[in-house]
Amino acid sequence: MSTGLALVADGLGKRYGSKWALRDCTLEIPTGSVTALVGPNGAGKTTLLQLAVGLAEPTTGSVRVLDCSPRADAQAMLPRIGFVAQEHPLYRGLTVRETLDLGRQLNPGWDEALASERIERVGLAARQKVGKLSGGQQAQVALTLALAKRPELLLLDEPVASLDPLARREFLTSVMEVVAERGITVVLSSHIVADLERVCDHLIILSHARTQLAGPIEEIVSSHRLLTGPRSDPAAVARVHNVVRASHTERQTTLLVQANGHVYDSSWELHDVDLEEIVLAYMGQREEVAA
Amino acid sequence: MIEFHLDARSGVPTYLQLVNQVRQAVRLGILRPGDQLPTVKEVVGALTINPNTVLKAYRELDHEGIVEGRRGVGTFVSAQSPSPPPDGMKDLRAALEKWVARARSAGVDDEAMAAMLADATHHPRASRVA
Amino acid sequence: MIRAGWRLQRTETLVTAGMLAALALLLIPTGLQMSSAYHHDGLSACLSPNASFGCGRAVESFMSRFSGIYSLAGWFNFVPALAGVLLAAPFLLELEQGTFRLAWTQSITRGRWIAGKLGLAIGVALSAALILTLLITWWRTPFVHLQGRMGANVYDFEGTVVFGYALFPLGLAAALGAVWRRAVPALIVSFGVYVGVRVFFDSWVRQRLVAPLTATWKAKTSGPDLSHAWVLAEGPSGPSGHIIPFHIGPCFPGRPRCTLNPPGHYMHAVYHPASHFWPLQGIETAIFAGVALVLLAFAAWWTHERVA
Repeated sequence: MSTGLALVADGLGKRYGSKWALRDCTLEIPTGSVTALVGPNGAGKTTLLQLAVGLAEPTTGSVRVLDCSPRADAQAMLPRIGFVAQEHPLYRGLTVRETLDLGRQLNPGWDEALASERIERVGLAARQKVGKLSGGQQAQVALTLALAKRPELLLLDEPVASLDPLARREFLTSVMEVVAERGITVVLSSHIVADLERVCDHLIILSHARTQLAGPIEEIVSSHRLLTGPRSDPAAVARVHNVVRASHTERQTTLLVQANGHVYDSSWELHDVDLEEIVLAYMGQREEVAA
Repeated sequence: MIEFHLDARSGVPTYLQLVNQVRQAVRLGILRPGDQLPTVKEVVGALTINPNTVLKAYRELDHEGIVEGRRGVGTFVSAQSPSPPPDGMKDLRAALEKWVARARSAGVDDEAMAAMLADATHHPRASRVA
Repeated sequence: MIRAGWRLQRTETLVTAGMLAALALLLIPTGLQMSSAYHHDGLSACLSPNASFGCGRAVESFMSRFSGIYSLAGWFNFVPALAGVLLAAPFLLELEQGTFRLAWTQSITRGRWIAGKLGLAIGVALSAALILTLLITWWRTPFVHLQGRMGANVYDFEGTVVFGYALFPLGLAAALGAVWRRAVPALIVSFGVYVGVRVFFDSWVRQRLVAPLTATWKAKTSGPDLSHAWVLAEGPSGPSGHIIPFHIGPCFPGRPRCTLNPPGHYMHAVYHPASHFWPLQGIETAIFAGVALVLLAFAAWWTHERVA
């Protein structure tokens, strides 16, 4: 039954009116991984997640989640996934307790012990109105609602974007603890790269509605190199390696490349690059090409 | 019990930082044979890191024979972990302090001393067997 | 789903119940007064078919005593509309505030969620309409004996039309809000459209739903009994039944068609007799409820297919 893949997208595309929100998206997310979906605002992260949970329907291609088609097999898929939408929408008029009751009524697999224990641990009173909670607390309520379903796959859309650094750290810690306890698969989107390297093991970079790069973070970091050398045409390097970004000063050329094996050319000085720099390079790539 | 910390700017992969800290603690006698390492969940909770990173570090340490995992119980510093005798440590430390004093009087500053030490450990001139 | 949906609609249900309760608080005491006045002042006796004396004075005193409160009845038209619009609010707020993304990613499908949500709103709207109808029907009983049920103030609250009047604004608000995705403006516009449609319907459409009866009779003879009928037009006419427009006021030479000298001495009336009550109610209810159901189906379809 299990293919070892929690999510498979094949040529997935979504168009709203005449604008493509996501295009030609082909990727695989392995079971048990913690995958970061990174890209600037409007890159298609939300669209990809909404297609995955069945909120939106693909214009082209297909997506399969836990071996289910999100729309056609919704009844089978929904109990197995947990989803926290952007801005973690909640019924503001309900209390924390009533929100959990709602979760119990809507989910046959609801784990009440887990839910109440989590709420207590993050220091929330059951009788507080959800609308009166801080952003971080609301995010924790939304996460609890998603986790008490005991999902196999947790999808989080910009879960920490609106949170202050402390709440952001607490939220990610909560998610990581669940991963440690239950080994669930997590996909989380973010436009902030900081924190992700610690938390995630896989990375998907989306930009301009397309997938720019996908893979295990370790491989991504180890395969990318920054080359500096006297000013020259990067064409020679580009024949062997994938040049992600090239910049020139009067005398010097700096290339960020995805190395295809070793870089032997001794005219270049090699440097390691960190994840943030790689992500930024890919995010900027298309704009430069277009400009 | 050891408390891990991370240096985000060191450029050293997270799992390797954990491995190094356990090695160091064992060497310095902070961790003794039979001591338990924090559970994966505890490390994850303290550092907000991916549990797979902790697992990877513990596997690496297990592989090196420094720790051993006991299924369902936890990860423990193994009996045969390389733990230098405390006496030897004391002598070495005293000798090092003497060397530092000599270097200072010769006008070598702390940074230069650290560089010399790093150089000596990474590129030993005479091959010595520890 | 039902319990969850119920909780999410609690405020609106309570406000609707509150409106009905306030109305009951107003109507029950006055209704009791009217009922007792009707029975004790000899009205019920004199209105019975074999009464031996006229009712003129008793009716007059009854009417002068209660016409004030009775004229309030027109305002009750807002109650089913307010309830209908209000009960659409949970559905619209769900769409506006994005909580549908939370609801639809729990373990039930969006189809069931939409059906449950709209179903609950429909259920409460119909219950409110039923209570309103029963309450006002009881309250109005003495007036019905006096004037029948064809007058606008009665017709609008008896029989079945109230169900249509409650569903229509609900469906309108749901459809408008589903497309517009803004709750409060959609509710206000729906309410306004409802009022406009009702005014148009009451004043123009309703009388044409069933062909009215016509009658022509010699003046000063007793024509058809119009006391319980909805009279659309009545006046002096020629023998062929053409109503002759006439001026009210003093007659003097040079002013034609003066009532003092009606040509032909005939009267003509166009009217819906009391027997048209149920056909009219049935057709009007079917129109309002039918349009409401189409709008609700559209809102459900649009939300199911187009909202993400």
